[in-house]
Amino acid sequence: MRAVRHLRSVVFDKRIALLLLLGPFAVFGAVMVNTKDRAPPQILALAVGGDGTTLLEMRADKLYRRAAADGAWAQVPLPRAVAPSRITAIAAVAKSSDVLYLAGQGLGVWRSDNGGRDWEARNDGLPSREAIAVTAHADRPETVYAYLAGNGIFRSEDAGKHWKQMDGGPRAALTQFVHSNMPGSMQSGWLFAATRTGVARSMDCFCGWYDAGGLNAKVHAVAYAPNQPQRVYAATEKGLFVSVNGGEEWRRAQAPAGSVTALAVARSGTVYAASGSKLFRSTDGGQTWERVDA
Amino acid sequence: MRSALLASAMVFAGVAVTAHAAKEALPPLDPALAAQGRSIYAHQCASCHGPQGEGAPHWQARNAQGELPAPPHGPQGHTWKHSDAMLYRIVREGWRDPFNKTKRLTMPAFRDVLSPRETRAVITFLKTLWKPEQRRFQWEESRKEPFPPQTNRTTRPADDRPPHEHGR
Ligand code: HEC
Repeated sequence: MRAVRHLRSVVFDKRIALLLLLGPFAVFGAVMVNTKDRAPPQILALAVGGDGTTLLEMRADKLYRRAAADGAWAQVPLPRAVAPSRITAIAAVAKSSDVLYLAGQGLGVWRSDNGGRDWEARNDGLPSREAIAVTAHADRPETVYAYLAGNGIFRSEDAGKHWKQMDGGPRAALTQFVHSNMPGSMQSGWLFAATRTGVARSMDCFCGWYDAGGLNAKVHAVAYAPNQPQRVYAATEKGLFVSVNGGEEWRRAQAPAGSVTALAVARSGTVYAASGSKLFRSTDGGQTWERVDA
Repeated sequence: MRSALLASAMVFAGVAVTAHAAKEALPPLDPALAAQGRSIYAHQCASCHGPQGEGAPHWQARNAQGELPAPPHGPQGHTWKHSDAMLYRIVREGWRDPFNKTKRLTMPAFRDVLSPRETRAVITFLKTLWKPEQRRFQWEESRKEPFPPQTNRTTRPADDRPPHEHGR
């Protein structure tokens, strides 16, 4: 018994000694790392899934998710074969928070159906891997859309196994887009696209892109409210705008920060907006904002 | 070694070419149905969509009333983006863009003017205006959304709608 206690105190002593010895180096090391990555990781993309209850965030080269209502962020594993810094777009499907898509230039489209544990490239039938944007159908879990630089918009109705070119996309190249189940479409919904010249809107028959509401500004991100699909948000170089009639007319909303670069709206109507490395949320449709993860 | 690689590359290329050629052939259009449709088009549709299906002038933008004009039906339009079921529905029930500033059906409903078979005939005529790749696109879209079965009837049951009247 005494021997055991003695052994323990020896171990303890050794630990202390190690700490004393290495402590200064550890602190020094941390400072070094800090000065090296002084810029906090930028938020590149936001998305909601699982019927608008899960929030996804692509922050620099890492993907995180959490319950939109509240909760801790959990890191989502990424495909090992992919350079994470190339991922620029993420999407989750309507009825599940485990089915995820990611896309990026040089990567094409990847899909996971178990919350990121396993990923598969879904590029059969795509003419290139230069995927700029990806979005899932608002209602149909197997339907997904991808925008390829120089090639336009492709649709898959079998979770990315086969792709079909739908059209060349809006006249001004798009940087991000979202499928919406706003009523009134000839087919099953709409697409809203963020472009260099405004928000472009098309029914999902791809029978014509129209400039939605004449924003006349570079749009960084567009999102719609799943609980109120006529309600659309656009983050532009001139500020944040909201429309209550499907993008026909816009009015200026209060922006949480200088430049908003990513947007997502949860089922509850809560709007998430990213500006640089900061994430904000608004529960009153973009009038007031609070930091989410400060 | 190099020749083995070359050979396997050639086999691969061969497989790719055959896979491509094995794409199902487009089913031909029924010439009698298309001819019937051409005459219906001339009488019922040409006034708005143009005698050659070229569409109204400036069809891509809303007009002074805030309505989208009649689009072309040929290669430059987007009629070919719709499945057979959808085209049938548009012609039967009419259509207006939900963002039009007026409430009227700018594309009129033809359900009281054309029989189901005549509706199918005029849509078959529209298909003669498309490029082969557009025909293929539309044919693929229609596999899951075909014409409704009543359009297969060539004879009119006694209680069916009146025939289309020429020069309505
Ligand atoms: C009174 C004018 C008028 C007549 C007659 C008319 N159309 Fe139309 N049609 C329109 C207009 C206007 C639109 C566009 C509606 C919109 O998108 O708002 C349209 C749209 C369509 C579309 C949808 C095209 C697309 O790409 O989305 C089809 C298909 C169509 N018409 C077929 C026909 C056929 C077939 C006939 C004859 C049987 C016909 N139309 C007769 C005015 C007309």
